[in-house]
Amino acid sequence: MTALPSRRRPRSVETRSLHERVAPCLLIAPFVAAFVLLFLGPALYSLVLSLYRYKGYGSAQFIGLSNYTSTLTYHIFWTALGNTAFYWVAHVVPMMALAFLLALLVRSPVVRLKSVFKPILFLPNIIAVVAATLLFQSLFATQYGIINSALRLQIPWLQDEWLSRIVIVVLMVWRNFGFWFVVFLAGLTTINPEVEDAARVDGANDWQRLVYVTLPLMRPIILLAVVIDAIGSFQLFSEPNILLARAGQLAPSAIAPLLNLMVVDLRSGGFGQASAVGWLLFVIIAAASYVQFRLFRDREDRS
Amino acid sequence: MTAGTTRPTAAKHASARASVLTHLALVAMGVVSLYPYVMMLVNSFKSDHEILSNPAGLPQNFTFSSYASLATYHGGVWINFVNGLLIAGLSTLAAVLITAMAGYAFSKHRFFGREVIFSLLMLTLMVPPQITIPPLYLLFAKVGWLDTLQAQILPTIPSVFGLFMVRQYMQSVPDELIEAARIDGAGPWRIFFMVIVPISAPILGAFAILHFLGVWNAYLWPLIVATNPAVQPIMVTLPNMTDPNIGFLPIWGTIMAGCTLATIPILIVFLIFQDRFMASATIGAVKN
Repeated sequence: MTALPSRRRPRSVETRSLHERVAPCLLIAPFVAAFVLLFLGPALYSLVLSLYRYKGYGSAQFIGLSNYTSTLTYHIFWTALGNTAFYWVAHVVPMMALAFLLALLVRSPVVRLKSVFKPILFLPNIIAVVAATLLFQSLFATQYGIINSALRLQIPWLQDEWLSRIVIVVLMVWRNFGFWFVVFLAGLTTINPEVEDAARVDGANDWQRLVYVTLPLMRPIILLAVVIDAIGSFQLFSEPNILLARAGQLAPSAIAPLLNLMVVDLRSGGFGQASAVGWLLFVIIAAASYVQFRLFRDREDRS
Repeated sequence: MTAGTTRPTAAKHASARASVLTHLALVAMGVVSLYPYVMMLVNSFKSDHEILSNPAGLPQNFTFSSYASLATYHGGVWINFVNGLLIAGLSTLAAVLITAMAGYAFSKHRFFGREVIFSLLMLTLMVPPQITIPPLYLLFAKVGWLDTLQAQILPTIPSVFGLFMVRQYMQSVPDELIEAARIDGAGPWRIFFMVIVPISAPILGAFAILHFLGVWNAYLWPLIVATNPAVQPIMVTLPNMTDPNIGFLPIWGTIMAGCTLATIPILIVFLIFQDRFMASATIGAVKN
């Protein structure tokens, strides 16, 4: 009886240390397994798949880089790339400017009810993309649209190509400015007020303080915002396809984004081609992020 | 004397004007933010018929008919609503559990290859998730899971960004707490559930909100993998709601009622957890 506890103690220490050694493996195992099985594996497989012609049944045929070259020589690809780039550039500048301006305004000491404005301006970001897009469809419809009937006009917002592009851009700005507004507001509150006070004492006016003090301090956050927004913009799909198509159809190719190519390929059973489109998307996103980091860093070096 | 008195009043006037202009600008943007929401709610109380003649005004005949037709459209859109809740809810439960476990190991345990594995995981943040769509479609077709809920849930579970967020937070948990629990005889699992999870509740809550929203809002993957209306989430149902008799004509009243229904759960969570909601938005962006 008395010998038992003394014998049990070393064993329990040993099992505990074994526990301690096995524990981290068990802790990360579910995440790593899910990640490998549902993301990394499929991502690598899609790289392999992009070198084959495969219909989803029968045998796959190795065709080298043909899927890439045929995508790159397909004029719709360049239209889609141009559209996607347009949607990104056209919305990012006004959206970030608006978000930053609103953050400056809400932070200003004269503003009351900050705690009311902040959630209200964030609200468009909460609604689902699908619902927001349907709302915009009902706002901008030609015959029965809210805006046209309020203006008593018949502007073909969603029929005309350029007007539809603008509606898509307005939708992207509307749904996302509140998010970046909150991010910028949080960034502004991390700026030490003494730095701005010092500039004020030195005689800098509001504009000079903004340009020479606030903006440089906010540069890392603005850069990150622009890069993250660009990555999201190149993955654009729901907005144009719900706004300009109905009942399971895709948007017309003249205004369609890049991901439409992948969906078209999938629906026609071109799994290799669809994978190639995915990897081209990756290359484009990586290149765009790299260029933006370089641009911002160069500017930082110069100043 | 005059100069001494006018300058402060002039300055006061200027700042009063600035204050009024600032408030006007903010109110104007507030209206822009809210107007589509208000019209969504207003139009959901009109009949599908009335919307066509009166899209912009208040309802002349206030009616719940759009909500009623939501209940009957194609066997009931509430099924798709529940599908969406199930997909997002189950995915969030699983994601929070496995991400918290992995975050704990990556922040508080030493093991071989920890930094390398973590860096490799972070590298994959650059890869657009749509790349996995063709292989995942083939995979789920092979195991016969097309048109199922699990095919919509599983690929959303691993979240590298979530792991980054959670690990970052757990690194700030003092080692003394864990040490104290260990001295009291708690094993790694007990420490995880009794110390780490409660103390990380804020970040796990923020991650849960972000994750739920992301899955709830998803459109592309469910559109591809779920073609049977019985398993589609509400986000795929909504854009396809057309008049059962005429076919191509969207039934706007019912669609607006559906959008309201799809927005309400998020709105409720937002109104309760406003600050955490907005903080979760900024965590990723500002902490870097």
